[in-house]
Amino acid sequence: MRVGVFICHCGNNIAGTVDVKAVADEIRKIPGVAHATTYMYTCSEPGQDEIKQAIKQYNLNRIVVAACSPRMHELTFRRTIEKAGLNKYYFEMANIREHISWVGENKEANTKKAIDVITMAVAKVMQDKPLFSSSFKINKRVLVIGGGVAGMQAALDCGDGGLEVVLVEKSPSVGGMMSRLDKTFPTIDCSICILGPKMVDVAQHDKIKLYAYSEIEDIKGYVGNYQIKIRKKATYVDWTKCTGCGACMEKCPSRNAYDYFNFGVAPTKAINIPFPQAIPKKAKIDPNYCRQFTKGKCGVCAKICPTKAINYEMQDEIVTEEVGAIIVASGYSLLDLERLPEYGGGRYPDVISGIQYERLLNASGPTAGHILRPSDNTEPKTVVFVACAGSRDKSIGVPYCSNFCCMYIAKQAILTKDHIPDSQSYVFYMDIRSPGKGYDEFTRRAQEDYGVKYIRGRVSRIYPKGKKMVVRGADTLLGTQVEVEADLVVLGTAVLSNPDAARLAEKLHISYDTFGFYVESHPKLRPVETNTSGVFLAGACQGPKDIPASVGQGSAAASKVLALFSKDMLESDPAVAKVNINKCVGCLKCVRTCPFQAIKENQLRDGRIVADVIETVCAGCGVCTSTCPCGAIQLQHFTDNQILAEVNALCQG
Amino acid sequence: MSGVDPKQELRIVGFLCNWCSYGGADTAGVSRFKQPTDLRIIRVPCSGRVDPLFVVKALLNGADGVLVSGCHPRDCHYSDGNFYARRRLEMLKRLLSFLGIDNRRFHYTWISASEGARWQQTVRDFTEAIHRLGPLNIKREA
Amino acid sequence: MSMEMLRDVVKNVLSEVDVVIGYTEGFDKVHATPLFINTPEQVDRLIWSPICVHNLTTYLPSLKKKVGIIVKGCDSRTIVQYMQEGLINRENIKIIGIPCSGVISVKKLTKAVDYANIEDISFEKDGKINVTTDKGQKTLALTDVQPDKCRTCQYPTPVIYDHLIGDPISSDKPKESVYEDIVEFDKMTLEEKLNYWLKEFDRCIRCYACRNACPMCICQDSCIAETREPHWISQRLTTQEKLMFHMIHAVHLAGRCVECGECERVCPMGIPVNKLKRKINMDMKDLFDYEPGVNPDDKPPMYTFNVDELKIKEHKIG
Repeated sequence: MRVGVFICHCGNNIAGTVDVKAVADEIRKIPGVAHATTYMYTCSEPGQDEIKQAIKQYNLNRIVVAACSPRMHELTFRRTIEKAGLNKYYFEMANIREHISWVGENKEANTKKAIDVITMAVAKVMQDKPLFSSSFKINKRVLVIGGGVAGMQAALDCGDGGLEVVLVEKSPSVGGMMSRLDKTFPTIDCSICILGPKMVDVAQHDKIKLYAYSEIEDIKGYVGNYQIKIRKKATYVDWTKCTGCGACMEKCPSRNAYDYFNFGVAPTKAINIPFPQAIPKKAKIDPNYCRQFTKGKCGVCAKICPTKAINYEMQDEIVTEEVGAIIVASGYSLLDLERLPEYGGGRYPDVISGIQYERLLNASGPTAGHILRPSDNTEPKTVVFVACAGSRDKSIGVPYCSNFCCMYIAKQAILTKDHIPDSQSYVFYMDIRSPGKGYDEFTRRAQEDYGVKYIRGRVSRIYPKGKKMVVRGADTLLGTQVEVEADLVVLGTAVLSNPDAARLAEKLHISYDTFGFYVESHPKLRPVETNTSGVFLAGACQGPKDIPASVGQGSAAASKVLALFSKDMLESDPAVAKVNINKCVGCLKCVRTCPFQAIKENQLRDGRIVADVIETVCAGCGVCTSTCPCGAIQLQHFTDNQILAEVNALCQG
Repeated sequence: MSGVDPKQELRIVGFLCNWCSYGGADTAGVSRFKQPTDLRIIRVPCSGRVDPLFVVKALLNGADGVLVSGCHPRDCHYSDGNFYARRRLEMLKRLLSFLGIDNRRFHYTWISASEGARWQQTVRDFTEAIHRLGPLNIKREA
Repeated sequence: MSMEMLRDVVKNVLSEVDVVIGYTEGFDKVHATPLFINTPEQVDRLIWSPICVHNLTTYLPSLKKKVGIIVKGCDSRTIVQYMQEGLINRENIKIIGIPCSGVISVKKLTKAVDYANIEDISFEKDGKINVTTDKGQKTLALTDVQPDKCRTCQYPTPVIYDHLIGDPISSDKPKESVYEDIVEFDKMTLEEKLNYWLKEFDRCIRCYACRNACPMCICQDSCIAETREPHWISQRLTTQEKLMFHMIHAVHLAGRCVECGECERVCPMGIPVNKLKRKINMDMKDLFDYEPGVNPDDKPPMYTFNVDELKIKEHKIG
């Protein structure tokens, strides 16, 4: 056995706090280590070349690179040694950067720790066995979860690339948050005018199969071969018959249903089509308000419907789709106004959220585009916008910036002036965040051309005084308290993850952060990948994001899927469980514990029962290996002996 | 506090699942969250891969403390691995003190890839706890 | 119970199975030995008395034929455990249960007669034992020479059977008493406990008799104590390696040990090897309300889970 050890300086990242030369000197003493050296940037091309040359020059057959995290560069170096003719599993990485040089303050201790960690890696690499991938066929269909702008973009790009797309949207129409917006910053384009055609494209695309008002029930399988169970929620309207004529909505006597599309700005009918441009343009009954459901009699819609589409007996339906990859674009939600009691959120009708204000501005909104304050339907002359309503506030549990509120507040202030020329808007802000193209100019226009008064400071309290709302806050630039008597207050409420984000993540086996936003593979270099092969992210489910960023991610995720599907076969990871049939006693405890049903019973020719791993189904968790009492089933690359080698190297038995 | 004098370091082994906790330790590194240096990490695919006997082996053969960390329950990359781990490791935790090994020397927890700060705190607290307990000397006979 | 009835039942069962396993006289008066009955003539060699200590069920998983088997209450739990683990096909087994009021521990008996050579032994109905040794006659109470498991036995009547010989007996031992010794032991200081185990396990000669007798040690020739693939323990005779072996045995039996006590009975060094396993069982009961070998429909707790574990709380460090 001839092990080569390459210790990376990573510039000063490692060498600054680890004495890499001393480490190399110590590692060279380990029996079996034929070569140990240091290099400035091992991952660089010359760094990788040096490994290749050393393999030839010193006749090395196992390689250890001590550098950054294997989550960063394990694949890089595996490819390197494969090019040099070694099996790529004859490789180990010792993480001396993230786990040592960046976190330890004492150079001597860091150096000692680096020696230990590399010693463990050397012990492990000596136990490594060559492994070989096999290949399997992939199902070139893609599931897109979420029909907002990110999901639609992803679906359209995949569809245009020739892939069959299954698009699942939980609300009755695609369009997402963007379909609720009046105009978009910084161009003041009409939001639905630019989104509408995309929605129509989705509806008409022959490669896209849309499941609206549907949710993901269950996901099974692995990259290339997923089985998806989709719950089609009962709409009580047969959509194959519904023409979207709207007669039912007109005649429905139940007028007080909550309008999800308009965020409750005004009530809607119990049977409704959410908005004029809805895709699909189909009616749906809200059984919480429908008299047929609440009182047991009514039936007006059923009588009026010209195509007899109403079906009060409809049940949820579960359908199964098979796909090879998944794009998650499940979007975001907004902080409830009730969570901001000091601002009177939820208590005073004239304190509303930014998204509600969008609906007031919108020509197809409940006020037909006239800004009327909810309490008395009068035109407000003084409008106060409060940025960071919940955002960047640890007490709310939202320490992060919600990304786009600064911009939409500037937009809404401009639009307010357009709608009501004699109005005056105020914006309370902490910092103006406007880093996008044309964004800073836009916020300046609001102030300079539209006379919006920006006050740097937080609002402490909002309370009613007669017909006015008094907004009391600090002006930190002037160092004074300020009070503004407003007719209407608009809160730029914090962006939150979806309430069911965690549940969906669990079905997908992807990670989410403390706030429920999905975690990408690498924050810089793999922004749309997840750590689960075959699952990609787009849009605000990964973190607050504005429209261009969401669209960009939608396209990026689609391109990742197209690249994945450019091959007919995928290479399987050979680090799967393997049964030694000579040792297996056929107790089949592994069959019971395998989370993937990847192990089955197999009868040998002599009649003996043994466990048998279905390699393509095995995900490589190793639960079976720690279940097996006789060590007969071993997860390759993480066998008992390989882990024991590390334990023993550290705890010198 | 350890890490100040490397000669006073104790031997602490950490078994970390690749997807969550190892990532959390990486996140702590990227964020430069300073930690004591005693702990050495062994990367495993899943906390469900951690046979409780690895922990026993480490403690009997010279480790002063063992930490196992996986994905939070319900967030396992392999769906159920940490559920098995939780049962097995709880069994071990209770057995150790019966054997006469202070079960504070063994800790298992759940840390996600985004929880760098939580990882830092765990390493700090656990290292401190092990230092309070001192070295585990299980006598050896040749 | 009557011997006659037992023999009749065995003869009947024999007509349905390939072999019936029971007990016969061993090399001396205090040792029984397993008897494999293939023909009706062999039935007469059957015996039944408190010297019938072996857990015969240990043969079941490897016998790939129809088997009749004589079991005591404790032994029957093994069968239930095998069923839970899918290690036997219940249809292939005819269980002949015998309610049992306790067996003897040869170790305790020989000690009770001061290690004199036992020439004869007889058992009275009232629980008295008459022992004839080369030093004379002695009368003992069965309860004084019973293995520890009998003292807290909760299942004197088999928990599963096809035929029951004699009337069922219910346990007169309080349920709380089962783990009293474990709770008591655990009260010692960590140092005392560690020293106890180091001293006990240091005496282990690694003969593996405990493993070989264990009905739940199903690995047989694949035991990881004797292989380098995987190499969990070496052949070095250190206390650590011995301790490691016993921890392997205990951990592999977690939630599986039916407490038949065979491991302890066969240990030539008299090491209390069942104690660790019983400690785990106590925890399994507490954590998962699980008792091995009682209900065939139960799932062994180490091979299943609940998404929300009611009894497992997150631990604080230190």
